[in-house]
Amino acid sequence: MSLYPVLWKELKDMLRDVRTLAAIALMPLIMMPLLGISSIYAQQLQPGVVVVVDDDKACGSIGNILNISSSELKTQIIDALRNGGYLVITHEERNNKLVPDLKVVIPRSFIANLTSFNRTAVVRIVKNVASSKADQAVNIVNSVLAQYSRKVSEAKVEYLGELSSIKLRPDSVLNPILTATVFVGPQGGQVSYAESIRIAIARLLAFSLIFVTTPSTAYITDSVIGEKERKTFESLLATPVPRWALIIGKILSTSLVGLITGLADAAGLILFFTLPSMTYGINMFGYITPSLIATHALAVYLSVLASLAIILPLVIRSGSYRVAQTFSLIVIGLASLVFFMALYVDLDKITPAIVRYILYAIPYTHAVGMIEHIVTNEFSLVTTHLIAMLVIIGVLLWLSLKLFNEEKIIYSKT
Amino acid sequence: MRDNLAVMMKDVVKRFKKVTALNKLSFKVPEGSVYALIGPNGAGKTTTLRILSGLVKPDSGEVKVLGFRMPEEKEKVRGRISYLPEDAGLYQRLTGWENLLYYAMIYYGRDRANEIAEQGAKISGLSKKDLSRKASEYSKGMARRVAIARALMVGSELVILDEPTSGLDVFSSYRIRRMVREYVNETGSTVILSSHNMLEVEAICDYVALINKGVIVAEGSPERLKENYGGRNLEDVFISIVGEGS
Repeated sequence: MSLYPVLWKELKDMLRDVRTLAAIALMPLIMMPLLGISSIYAQQLQPGVVVVVDDDKACGSIGNILNISSSELKTQIIDALRNGGYLVITHEERNNKLVPDLKVVIPRSFIANLTSFNRTAVVRIVKNVASSKADQAVNIVNSVLAQYSRKVSEAKVEYLGELSSIKLRPDSVLNPILTATVFVGPQGGQVSYAESIRIAIARLLAFSLIFVTTPSTAYITDSVIGEKERKTFESLLATPVPRWALIIGKILSTSLVGLITGLADAAGLILFFTLPSMTYGINMFGYITPSLIATHALAVYLSVLASLAIILPLVIRSGSYRVAQTFSLIVIGLASLVFFMALYVDLDKITPAIVRYILYAIPYTHAVGMIEHIVTNEFSLVTTHLIAMLVIIGVLLWLSLKLFNEEKIIYSKT
Repeated sequence: MRDNLAVMMKDVVKRFKKVTALNKLSFKVPEGSVYALIGPNGAGKTTTLRILSGLVKPDSGEVKVLGFRMPEEKEKVRGRISYLPEDAGLYQRLTGWENLLYYAMIYYGRDRANEIAEQGAKISGLSKKDLSRKASEYSKGMARRVAIARALMVGSELVILDEPTSGLDVFSSYRIRRMVREYVNETGSTVILSSHNMLEVEAICDYVALINKGVIVAEGSPERLKENYGGRNLEDVFISIVGEGS
């Protein structure tokens, strides 16, 4: 009963701040995908210019197996670049005032060197270092050259086989070692490719928690310090409302708003990665399961709660926006450290053990653990991390209650 | 044992680092009276009221509020008192009505909240239309009327008001004085207030204590003080005790 009035007031107060809420919740949902999509389309909007020059204008052959020509290679390079959205100009069309992003030159004797068995052919690439489009064009040209090089190599191997009367398979000469990858889970059992993708997505989701802590710490600071500055706190502290109800009421209400904004941030990040990948035909949504979504939502909420539980005792004691914001930055930094590490490191496998135990004392480690273990169906580990996180949050809330001191709140400088 | 006293402070000392805010302060407030603490800025009025509200702990001395020892029994006291600090604000995004409803819920729970808030609305004298507006749209006088109504509506045995009319115009101050006096007449509750407004103190208070440098330097009814110090009004008494420019 004592909790209801505090929750009622706090939620009303926060939810009426529609402009701030909308800005915090909608901005990441709009901006992050926009950022992802624009990064692709902006590249397409920027015209990349490549000059392709054939100075050789020669033909050749590998025995009777393959006929090649510099004009054929030139055509293949031009087609690939045009398909990639580049404006390709041949030497003949070249305007001297135009500075290209890339120049590809097939030099004299290219075909002679390519068809020989003791020389190497060279394609000269002149790259404009100030151009953001040049790297992508180099990749396209290299891809064409690799395919052409492979075709010539195979023909040469086949020709040498004919000459030596040895039955040759080009692959056994050109690629004598192949790799065969089998995906296994943490228990050693084989997992599908889809599951391996899911594990990678889990790391991404764990990393997305990095955005969860920021809005909630701002809300709890406003809820305590703001109430003090607006001169409503002192009269409230003299009422019979229990201190636990004040703390839990403020934490629950801010955590709900924090959850909305946190999920919006996380969704924005996922869209940032998935929408551009979908434009390349990769559907990351297909790998996300309901259990992963549910666990992620729980991890988001608990991360918000943990942030509030860490920041509240500090906010209560600090009494000023400036100090509270400094503490908030420390908390956000701590959370970011764990979430960023989760992108590259298995937190449960770090050695020496003392480092692991220190990480376990940070509640965010358990949020990461919950997400990473749900995709590998390690439910006992998910439960262990969940319980550990709840215990840490409980201890922090108890600490808030112990540190709650009306006199310090009233007399602290804002 | 209540001894018919709403408040009893004896030899109370409170220091903030090197500053002594209260220096063996002693006074008693009879039940059902309106008691005023007057004194220059920094005399210790607000600290005294905060100690009575259980928000500040005295360093030494004895404090009893409604028969309960403070701060040991402050939890028992909190449901029986209301406290309005100087410049107490309203929740700006809530309406005037919701501001009343919030405190009504805290003191009486959800079941009686509407009934108590109705009482508050009546005390405030504001129309339903005004009370349905957000507090951010209120004038200073309207906000103060709601804040005082919020303190009075819960029917506390002791109401503590820190400078209730500070910064208000003549009309608003008059309305608030009338609200307080009517409340005491109707409920028989005790009101202890601090003020710089001598006219206000003379108009509504039964007893006045003049506090200076953390001690009570004079106490009694306004008439008695004027008689004892030969003043035409309380302002003369104040000046003759504290001294000009003190």
